Parts: sequence; structure tokens; C-alpha cells
Amino acid sequence: MSTDTVEGSRTHSLGYVAGVRTVFGLEMKQRLRGRAWYIMMAVWFLVIGLVFLLATLTTAAMDSAGPFLFDLVVGFVLFFGLLVAPGLSANAINGDRTGGTLAILQVTLLRPGQILWGKWLASWVASLGFLALSSPFIFWALALGGVNPLEAIVSLAVLALELGLVCALGVGISALAGRPLFSIVTTYMMVALLGLGTLIAFGLSMSLVMEEDVQVTQSFYDYPREAIESGRMLTEEDLECLTNQVIMPVWHTERTAWLLAANPFVIVADAVPYDRDSLQSEPDSLGNTYRTPGVMESISAQVRLAQAGPDYEVTCEEAQFFGPGSRDIEKEPLPIWPLGLVLQGGLAAAVLWAGRRRLVTPVRRLARGTRIA
Amino acid sequence: MTNGYGGIIASGIRRSFGSVPAVRNIDFEAPPGEVTALIGPNGSGKTTLLLILASLLAPDAGTLSVGGFDPATNAAAVRRKVGWMPDTLGVWESLKAREILTTVGALYGLSSTAVSHRAAELLAEVSLSEYADSPAGVLSRGQQQRLSLARALIHDPDVLLLDEPASGLDPGSRVALRTMLRRLAGEGKTIVVSSHVLSELDEIADRAVFVNRGESVKSQTLDEAGTQLRRYCIQAEPMGALADALASHGVVFEERGDSRRVEYQVLLSSTEQAAWLLRTLILADVVVTAFAPAGGALEETYMSLDTERQ
Repeated sequence: MSTDTVEGSRTHSLGYVAGVRTVFGLEMKQRLRGRAWYIMMAVWFLVIGLVFLLATLTTAAMDSAGPFLFDLVVGFVLFFGLLVAPGLSANAINGDRTGGTLAILQVTLLRPGQILWGKWLASWVASLGFLALSSPFIFWALALGGVNPLEAIVSLAVLALELGLVCALGVGISALAGRPLFSIVTTYMMVALLGLGTLIAFGLSMSLVMEEDVQVTQSFYDYPREAIESGRMLTEEDLECLTNQVIMPVWHTERTAWLLAANPFVIVADAVPYDRDSLQSEPDSLGNTYRTPGVMESISAQVRLAQAGPDYEVTCEEAQFFGPGSRDIEKEPLPIWPLGLVLQGGLAAAVLWAGRRRLVTPVRRLARGTRIA
Repeated sequence: MTNGYGGIIASGIRRSFGSVPAVRNIDFEAPPGEVTALIGPNGSGKTTLLLILASLLAPDAGTLSVGGFDPATNAAAVRRKVGWMPDTLGVWESLKAREILTTVGALYGLSSTAVSHRAAELLAEVSLSEYADSPAGVLSRGQQQRLSLARALIHDPDVLLLDEPASGLDPGSRVALRTMLRRLAGEGKTIVVSSHVLSELDEIADRAVFVNRGESVKSQTLDEAGTQLRRYCIQAEPMGALADALASHGVVFEERGDSRRVEYQVLLSSTEQAAWLLRTLILADVVVTAFAPAGGALEETYMSLDTERQ
């Protein structure tokens, strides 16, 4: 057919990656040329700096200031990151729709997926800028000693991943919701659901996983009667480990620990390969062999305890106040953070998939109150 | 696959938003090489129809062929052929005029050398060369409008859909737009212009489709519009002599007072009849000072539809 040759000479095609790259470039140009991003970065730097400074002052007397500060900075960067990422991502699609520029993209050869990829990558890169800005503090804490550089690298990597997941949620929701304000608030709600909702759900589910009247072997240290009756000063050496059987309720938190896995703080805390053996390393000046675990490390420890479920047999070793203490949580066969990433990734993918359907043109169903252009 | 017809054929197009019908039943045809005007009052479904033609919106019912393809089944083929200029000026405010054109060109799969060459050419054509490196946000409304037109043309589309392209343009730019559209039509492109500035369309359009309340109510070529019954305004010194002359030839006239001066309006069926009347009046020694069609040909149709509606 004669028209086919005319067609052939005029057929331009847009490669998938090329389209994503162009959308990404378009987004980045706009962000870099606007002032909002820089102002947010400046505020971010000040706030993190302030938190770090205060923490440095309060931990100055501590022996293990390095790990403690490191944990604190990672925790705060994650916290602020979760606050910033929705703002950077959750108006990506509907902001353009309001501005009348989305239809201009849609009328080109771009496919819905390319728009989403480009916008997601741009918002992720924008939020990584914040992470880069906080790295001086992370490395400062690292320089104070006591932290394995691998911990730092893993922490930064998982933080970056978390920001990417929140951005994906934001971009997906912005494609679903009509107005930027609505989608930003919804994204914050989702982040709150992951950060706080998982904790609340875990707490409320406690009563569901309680098993009453379970025989448990308990161990605890006490002073033996003859030592008390002797009337002399009691010392630590007098403590004796007592073991007995009791009937008590237990909580099967191993069934609900997965709820905690979806928590961003748990993911970051749990992914870091802590040097847990150092908790019982060298005795300090007071003779105690104890290191204060940081915030994030404690979170990870608590979650692993929850994963382990009830302890039917508390041994004398576990019952010690000082020293290795508690249970050997490293033995828990599976770290929980991969599950967390899968849960969050699944949520983000579902939202993006639903958002993609809203970008398919020609549009069949149009959300109420929205215009194409 | 292409049906071989480069223009636009749409029939029985329906589209509603929720329970609100925007387009009830529109038949629309725009042949290649001609400028087709889409005329109708606000809210008559013009923009919705253009969105459907631009492959952004799916019709609820009806058959459609744009540039030889059906947007529902082959949107990409339609998009390669269609340039769309929306009525809302979506501009990336922080991007330079040149960058907007090169970005959109890249999204049509053009190579970067081809697109930068084409962008420079189009910027010159819409007289924005000196603003090529200004952020689009600082351009005036009219300049943004011209930029939007250039953007719609970046991939050299065969079909051009322009939604209110002339609103916000100064007289010079309007003339330039008219010249440009006539040239593009001369090159065999299919051009659809929606507007309600009718006097302007008279000079640009070859044909017109009138829509009202989501329905196509009339379709005519400008030649047809020119041969229909038209009102003419006549003024003379003194008006009394004119009135006598008209009465003696049995021409019915109506006195209109809405102008600064009194004028008589007569209904004439053709330009021949108008020529005859003018000659007759002058031979009867009436001092005719003004003799002109009351409005454009399209305006005449538009107004007649308006009266039909009431």
C-alpha cells in the first residue's frame, strides 16, 4: 500500500528507557531550578545538625558515644526522611494534572509506565539529596569510633531504599488522588500507618496471641535465705540462681512479629549487622562488661525477641542482670528486614499499579472533579 | 491499520462525565488540506471532542478515525500524527522555551539534532526566537500561546487540533496564525480550529461544524455559508430616501438602533442580490454611505442556529 511507505518514513519511536530518561530530566530540571528544594535542604541540615550537636553534648561523658550517636543519627535521618519524602513525591502526577502539563506528556508517545518511572526516580533522587546532606553527621559519628564501617554503609543503603519506597508510594498515590493536598496527606497517613500503625496493631494483637496456663521454667537470681539471715553485708557473690516451674500466660509474638517487619524503623534497625558480641566485650572501668545499645540496635533486639516468641525455659545465663543477658537473638534463623522490604515493596507496587491504570489514555473512567486538560 | 484517509471522520460520538453528558451526538469530518472550524458556545462540547480526537479521552460510543487510525486501538499511531494545542496553557514554567520544544520533541522519538533544528525553526515561525532562552513562566499569555502552538507542531503532525488558538493573541499574532494555518492546510495537513471568535474563522476556515449542547447541529463549507440568506446593513444620507427606495422595490427592511447611527438591515439571499440592490439604490440617486454584510458568514449561521434554538 502506498500509504505504508509514507508511514514507514515518518514512524518515530520512543524507546522505553529514553522516555523514562526524558521524563526524569524534565522533573529534575524543574526541581533544581525551583527554590523549594534548596530551602528544604537548608532546614533539614540545620535540624539534623542541631539534633546531632545536642546528642554530642549529652553523650560526651559516655564511653561508647560513637555507636550511640551513630544510631541516633540514623534514626533521626530516617524519621525526617519519612517526613520529607511524601512532600517530594506525592504531587508528582496530580500536580502536573492541575498545572495542565500532564496531558501534554500523555499526548506524546510516552506510556503510563514511563511517566511513573521517570517521576519516581526523580523524586527518589531528590530525597537522596537529603540523605547525602546528612552523611557528614553519619561519618562524624563513625569517626568517633566503635562503629563498624559496614554498619554505616548498610544503614545508608537501607535508608536510601526506604526513601525510595516512600517516594514510590507518594508517586502512586498522586496518580490516584485528584488533588495534591489530598495525596500528600494520604501519603503521610500511609507512612504513619507503617511507622506507628504497625506498632499499634502489634500491641493490640497481643491479646489474640496470648496462651494461658503454660508451664514455663523460670530462673532468677536471689539471695539465699541463710545469707540474708546471717545479717552480714550482702554482695553480688551471694546471689544464687533459682530455677522453678511456674504456670503463667505466654504471648506468641512470633505469630505477629511480621506486623513489625513493615515498620521502616524496624527495617533499617534490623538490616544493620550489629556487632552484638561487643555488648559483652571488655570490662569497663567499673568492671561491668556492658555497652549501652543504641536506639536502633535496641529496636532490632526487641523485634528479634518478638520473633523468637515465648521463652519456655529461661536459663540462669539468660537471667543475669549484667553480661550477655537475655537470649541469644542472633540464633533467630531469619532476619526480619527482608520480609519488611517485601511487604513495603508489595504495597508500593500495588499503589503504583493502581496509579498506572489512571494514566492510561484514552481515558475511559475519569475521576470525579478532575479534568484531563 | 490505516484506512488510508488522512483526515478525521467521527460519527455518533458520545461521552459523558458521570451523569453529565458533555458530548451527546457529534458527527464530525475534517478533510486533509482544509481548515475545519469547530464552532459552538461555551460548554457545547468542543474541548471534549478535541480531547477525544487527540486520543486522550475515550468516547462512550461512536466510531472514530484520526489520520487513518482509531485512537481506541492504535493510540500511538494517532499520536505520531496528531499535534494538539490545549485551551489550558500547560507550561513547565521553569523550563526555557527552547527546552520545552526539545523535551516534547524527544518524547515523540525525534533525534536530538533533528529536534533542536526543528525547535529553532518553529521558534522563529512563532516569533519567539528572542525568548528561546527565557523561562516559559516569564512569557506573556500570548507568547505562551504561541509557544504552545510551536509545541503542537514539533513533530510535524499531519493533523493539527487547536483549541481556542487565537484567544489572547494580539492582532499581529492573529494574522500570523492565520497565514501559518493557511500554509499548513496548503501542505495537505488536516487542521481543526475551535473558537467562538467567528469573524476570524471566516478568513481561516474552509468549512465549519457547529455544535451545541454536545450535538453537531450543522456542518457547512464557507462557500455554502456565503450563499445563504444574509443580513446586510445599509446607511444613507438621508435615511428617508433609502427607506423610500427600498419600499418601492419591495425590499423588507428593519431599523436597527443598536449602532451609533441608525441603519437598516435587509435580508438578502445571495451576493448577486446584494450587488443588484446596491446598483439599484445608486441608480435611484440614494446617497449610500455604507453597504455591508451585518456579520461574517459563520456568524450568520451561528446566529440563525441560535434563533432556531430559542
